[in-house]
Amino acid sequence: MKGTSAAPLEIGGWFEQWAERRLRYLMLAPAVLILLALTIFPSLYMFYAAVHRISPNPDLPWQFVGAANFTRLLSDGQFQVALRNTAIFTVVAVSVEFLFGLGLALLLDKYIRRLTFLKTVLMVPMMLPPIAVAITWKLIYEPQFGVLNEIMFRLGLPTQAWAGDVDLAMFSIIVADVWQWTPFIFLLMLAGLASLPIEPYEAAELDGASSWRQFWDLTIPFLKPVIAIALLLRVMDALRLFDLVFILTGGGPADRTKVLSLYIYQVAYRFADPGYAAAISLFVLLVTIVLSTWFMKRMRLVE
Amino acid sequence: MLRKMSLALAVATAVLAVNASAWADITILVPSGSEGDGLRAAAADYAKLKGTKVEIVQAPYANVFEQGANAGATRSGVFDIILMDDPWIPFFAENGHLEDLTTYFKNAGVEGPDDDFLSKSRAICRNPYNEGPYVCLPYVGNAQMFFYDAAKFKEVGVESPDNWDNVLKAAKALTEQGGGRYFGYVFRGGQGNPVVADFMPIFWSYGADMFDQGRTKVTIDTPEGAEAMKMFMALRDVSPKGVESYNANEVGTAMAAGTAASSINWPNWVATFEDPSQSRMVGKISYSPIPDGTKPGSSEIGHWTMGIMSAAKNKQEAFDFMMWATSPEQIKISAERGNPPVRRSVFTDPELAKQEKFRHYPVLMEAIEASTPRPRHPKWPEIENAFGIELSKAVAGTITPEEALKNSQAAVEQITGLK
Amino acid sequence: MRFKKRSRSRETLLRLAAYGTILVALILTLFPVYWIAANSFKFDIDIFAVPPEWVPRNPTLKHYEQAFIERPFLRYALNSFLVAVGTTAIAVIFGTMAGYALARFTYPWQWRKHVSFWILSTRMMPPIVSIIPLYLFFNYFDMLNTKAALIIAYTAFNLPFATWMMKSYFQDLPVELEEAAIVDGDTRWGAFLHVALPLARPGLAATAIFCLIISWNEFLLALVITLTEQSQTLPIGIAGRVTQYTTYWGEISAAGFMACVPIVIFAFIVQKHLVRGLSLGAVKG
Repeated sequence: MKGTSAAPLEIGGWFEQWAERRLRYLMLAPAVLILLALTIFPSLYMFYAAVHRISPNPDLPWQFVGAANFTRLLSDGQFQVALRNTAIFTVVAVSVEFLFGLGLALLLDKYIRRLTFLKTVLMVPMMLPPIAVAITWKLIYEPQFGVLNEIMFRLGLPTQAWAGDVDLAMFSIIVADVWQWTPFIFLLMLAGLASLPIEPYEAAELDGASSWRQFWDLTIPFLKPVIAIALLLRVMDALRLFDLVFILTGGGPADRTKVLSLYIYQVAYRFADPGYAAAISLFVLLVTIVLSTWFMKRMRLVE
Repeated sequence: MLRKMSLALAVATAVLAVNASAWADITILVPSGSEGDGLRAAAADYAKLKGTKVEIVQAPYANVFEQGANAGATRSGVFDIILMDDPWIPFFAENGHLEDLTTYFKNAGVEGPDDDFLSKSRAICRNPYNEGPYVCLPYVGNAQMFFYDAAKFKEVGVESPDNWDNVLKAAKALTEQGGGRYFGYVFRGGQGNPVVADFMPIFWSYGADMFDQGRTKVTIDTPEGAEAMKMFMALRDVSPKGVESYNANEVGTAMAAGTAASSINWPNWVATFEDPSQSRMVGKISYSPIPDGTKPGSSEIGHWTMGIMSAAKNKQEAFDFMMWATSPEQIKISAERGNPPVRRSVFTDPELAKQEKFRHYPVLMEAIEASTPRPRHPKWPEIENAFGIELSKAVAGTITPEEALKNSQAAVEQITGLK
Repeated sequence: MRFKKRSRSRETLLRLAAYGTILVALILTLFPVYWIAANSFKFDIDIFAVPPEWVPRNPTLKHYEQAFIERPFLRYALNSFLVAVGTTAIAVIFGTMAGYALARFTYPWQWRKHVSFWILSTRMMPPIVSIIPLYLFFNYFDMLNTKAALIIAYTAFNLPFATWMMKSYFQDLPVELEEAAIVDGDTRWGAFLHVALPLARPGLAATAIFCLIISWNEFLLALVITLTEQSQTLPIGIAGRVTQYTTYWGEISAAGFMACVPIVIFAFIVQKHLVRGLSLGAVKG
């Protein structure tokens, strides 16, 4: 394993020399080939399925329907409901996680920096299987026996149906998600804060800049790359939310928590209409790619 | 670091290489849960008895239909027999996923399942219902029953829950007394399958149905439907807050914990109610068939049935196993393992009848004999979803019951193409 | 704001507020975890006690016995472990190489930019979309119900993640050290192996633990691809205890609680690197 002191051209035979010259391709090739193999078939299938009507009966041929599956999106009320719910969930959950995460990190940075143990403890929620998280929150939210209502009751507040209440169902899902993922943002922000350079702050201090100005002019710009990555990862995951809804509400009550993944799942497997499901999926993929490209360009994550 | 990682990779790959797919004569897909556990135990007995290797594969209940549909649509022969919930039968049968059993019966020298099976249990296994060829055999005899706390009902002057007006009267009085901690009625209001399952029996007992005879017209938005809906909404008003997300489990738990006085539920809960480690209501819950409306009450049937996949590799062996597993002796063993039977001889078996844990059998048999299947349509999952959304909205109060009926009528007409 | 001189009393107040906040955050974070653990030791009847039993009064190991002895949850845990380790190893090894290449080498025709973006975009594909094609794919190769199928499927989203993480990490490591090694006679590959890789250890730790967490907990793909005891993972085993009629809360709590134990232990082992690596190399360090 120790570095040799031989000159580059003296190593090995022709193969090693060839490998060394082609290193840039050889190091990239395995990942690219694996990903190509894993995504090309699903992608082609998705494009092909999206323009067909596919019967669950294997004896019937696929029927070419052109853009019919896409025009159906326009008039499908359930799709629009799912789209709206997904948007609400993504915007609210990610914003709250971000504000809490950043706020806590700013507040605690100085005091928690040496407490690595504590930071690891705070990571526990995101290590739990989402399915177990969903089931636990279901118990906590239970209107008759749940802990949350017991606490409300003790505090003299009106008890609620939480996941069973039309107006609180989405809120309940968001709370569970915020609980699981705020620590992630918090830790990312802490890591970002830990690597801030000291000199600019000293200079600002000498200029008499207020804490607030320092925050906006120094901290935020320095943190921007971390913030960007954190938001990007969270948004990508929020758009595909499934387990929590599947267990906690099944999309109800009154369709208030039906999100796109759940709807795609139902269309593809419950209603056995993979062609239409592929069309919705393409739409989701398109939105995700457009959003993240725009975001990355703005945040200058790609050169 | 890299060396350690490569080592881990090598070890993982080596372990995987050993994991070749197991070879079996018959493979059966079951839901995880008591139905699946029962069939798993039977399969083990069969393997011992006949020297046939039977493999059980399983999926969570919420995913069994999807597994069946995936395997059927792609003709993958990953399993030969599927243990399925009866509302799925039209989908599987009419999309060519299931084997027609007629010739298998003929080769076995019989016309079909014998008369000892309850007639409704047999009817459900034919597609179209009660008329077409057999596509499966009944295994677990579920049908909804009405569960209630007889003492509490008596306290408020209701002797028996024989019709919905009485149930409502008792429930209303009990909920008013309960002060927000005790309720007269509880039901499954969760969007989708749950709310539909608990509405259908009320719907039927007021003479309504989803389709007319012969499936030519959608008949949800009718005067009968409106009457059923009215009762359903009245019952909702006396149910606990949060039923909008309840499923069978929450309903059963409310009964077992003694916070609700009555509900519709599946017979599997009988065992739970009588188990002191799970219930505060041991010996206090009574069972009856579904109450009457303006018409005799009808319970929703929820049988688990075994069918052979068209893409199965070993169809004859699969059929032989199914015949064996549904024989009177085996159905009795299955009943002792906790799954309700489908045969009259087992329901009335004197040895079982004298045991406390089977005291609901006469009621259950009556419920099955008076049961109605969920509307038989190959697009049932989609219909159930649409109907479930509208019912959920009505239960949550975001639309009026009238709108719910009207929207359901329109949605089901669109899905089925019936106008 | 970091160097303002403040009065001593204000400093103390701030300190108290901070520790108070930490305490509240800890309680909020850990309560649901505690609740899973507490419920796993209660009899079913006590899980639904009114008012709730904050501490199991009548503790039992019944659910652990049911889950891990009567039901094959140990087997599920083993499957989860093999799948998670397998896919993490593949993703980290190839992702590190690719990430390094994209961070250090130049390619003709702006390949670097296009390939980087394409790799990231593969992670945006909703898993729900690829389920049917993956099912067809594995069915064709007779690989349904194998752990290998899960490893392959998970690699599809772990590999882009690992590549992207490691790319950002390497980009922020000073290139001079590697140059020095090459001047000293090491090969390009050697510089990667002996210089860059050891420096990237925190990044590797963070990447590995994220891949582990995601694969250990993945639900949707495993739900569709696996049906047998030899291939199903913990989340599927847990979901299987939500049956048509009953939810086995106790067993689910026992299995859910035990499921997070290995990951938590691993997180504590690598915690030194972890929190540093979490910056994803996105910060100039």
